[in-house]
Amino acid sequence: MVRVKSRYLLCEVCVEDRKNLLLLDERSIYVAAKAAVARVHGDYGSALTNLGFSVKYLNAHTGIVFLRCRRSHYRLIWSALPFITSLENRGQRVPCFLNCLHVGGTIRTCQKFLVQYNTRQLHRMLLVCQSEEERSEIRKAVLSCTLKKDNNDDYEESEEED
Amino acid sequence: MAVFMDLNVSYTADKIRLQRLIEKAAHLGYSTVAINYVVDLQEKKQEIGKPKCASELFDTFPTVQGSTRPIKVLNRLTIVATDPSHFRPTAEYKAYDLVAVFPKTEKLFHATCMTFDVDIICVAGSERQPFCFKISPVNGAIARGVFFEISYTPAIRDATTRRYTIANSISLMETCKGKNVIVTSGAERPIELRGPYDIANLGLLFGLSEQDGKAAISTNCRAVHLHGETRKTALGIIHTMKKVQPVSEGSKEDGVPPSKRAKIEMSS
Repeated sequence: MVRVKSRYLLCEVCVEDRKNLLLLDERSIYVAAKAAVARVHGDYGSALTNLGFSVKYLNAHTGIVFLRCRRSHYRLIWSALPFITSLENRGQRVPCFLNCLHVGGTIRTCQKFLVQYNTRQLHRMLLVCQSEEERSEIRKAVLSCTLKKDNNDDYEESEEED
Repeated sequence: MAVFMDLNVSYTADKIRLQRLIEKAAHLGYSTVAINYVVDLQEKKQEIGKPKCASELFDTFPTVQGSTRPIKVLNRLTIVATDPSHFRPTAEYKAYDLVAVFPKTEKLFHATCMTFDVDIICVAGSERQPFCFKISPVNGAIARGVFFEISYTPAIRDATTRRYTIANSISLMETCKGKNVIVTSGAERPIELRGPYDIANLGLLFGLSEQDGKAAISTNCRAVHLHGETRKTALGIIHTMKKVQPVSEGSKEDGVPPSKRAKIEMSS
């Protein structure tokens, strides 16, 4: 059987108010992405999202989400993502947008990129730090940022966000 | 990592909102933004005011994601006009880094492409284009180094404006074949910005090829920026800078009047 190839889109959910992030879950992103692709690409787009499209991982604290789609038409789905203006969860509407950071062929490559990205973010946070304890905490977090190898598909990245 | 620029960020009088917009742009990875002051000359005698100095907004500009340099903020003037006589390059234009024109009629579009001293020509986003793009003015503009701008925020806001934006941009691509095009946001709020890779992909919807899409937010934008800078100089070679003279206490020094002391530095 020929291997089914897919693309993983690593996206960041950007909201104005960080507390609203915690309300999100995988289902709301899935629904919003499907709706956006259907709006922009019509019935063809809806059909494509029925095939092998899923939200693999969502980190509500940092707003990172992995979307998986088939390699043959990941561009089409990607092109509809900028049209997402809000996410809805349990009747509450959160205005936000998705910013695509990286496209990878496997979850592992996306994870590697994510570890580098988070390290960079921590460095950026270091610049705006106010107190010395925060600074030492961030330095500790930077040093402990690694890609842990696990047997099952458990992605653990040590990161700290203030 | 190429240098990405967003050359159309709407000016709002609300300082906090503007600050948040620029911070968001820096977070997304844009290394330069241009604050857009729109002037509609059809209405009663609008004055083209001076742009606010960018350093009034921030003491220290936010750093761009992915590099160590702070974000650069330019000023841009957009003139919405229907008559060629509206456009008069006066000294006020010199205060802006970039000048753009939004032509509403066929005659004005032709004049703008061939003769006017502008950097950017805006393509309508939220309404149907009243005229068709003809090959001769478009090629004339490309030869002169003037760029066409497509704004993507109308596409995000509403379904009907989305159709107009895509239709207008595709008709532009048919005539210009993807050359000299930049894609910008017309964002008024931080939520309307999008990341640079997403925009390069949106270019596919607008009729740009993959390579042109990436160029539309990086190399072409840089070319516009340089084009704007050369307008301030003589043929792009000589560039004058006012040297700030330190204020001297008391006039015990020579009685030479300040006007004679001011030097002009010539740097090539």
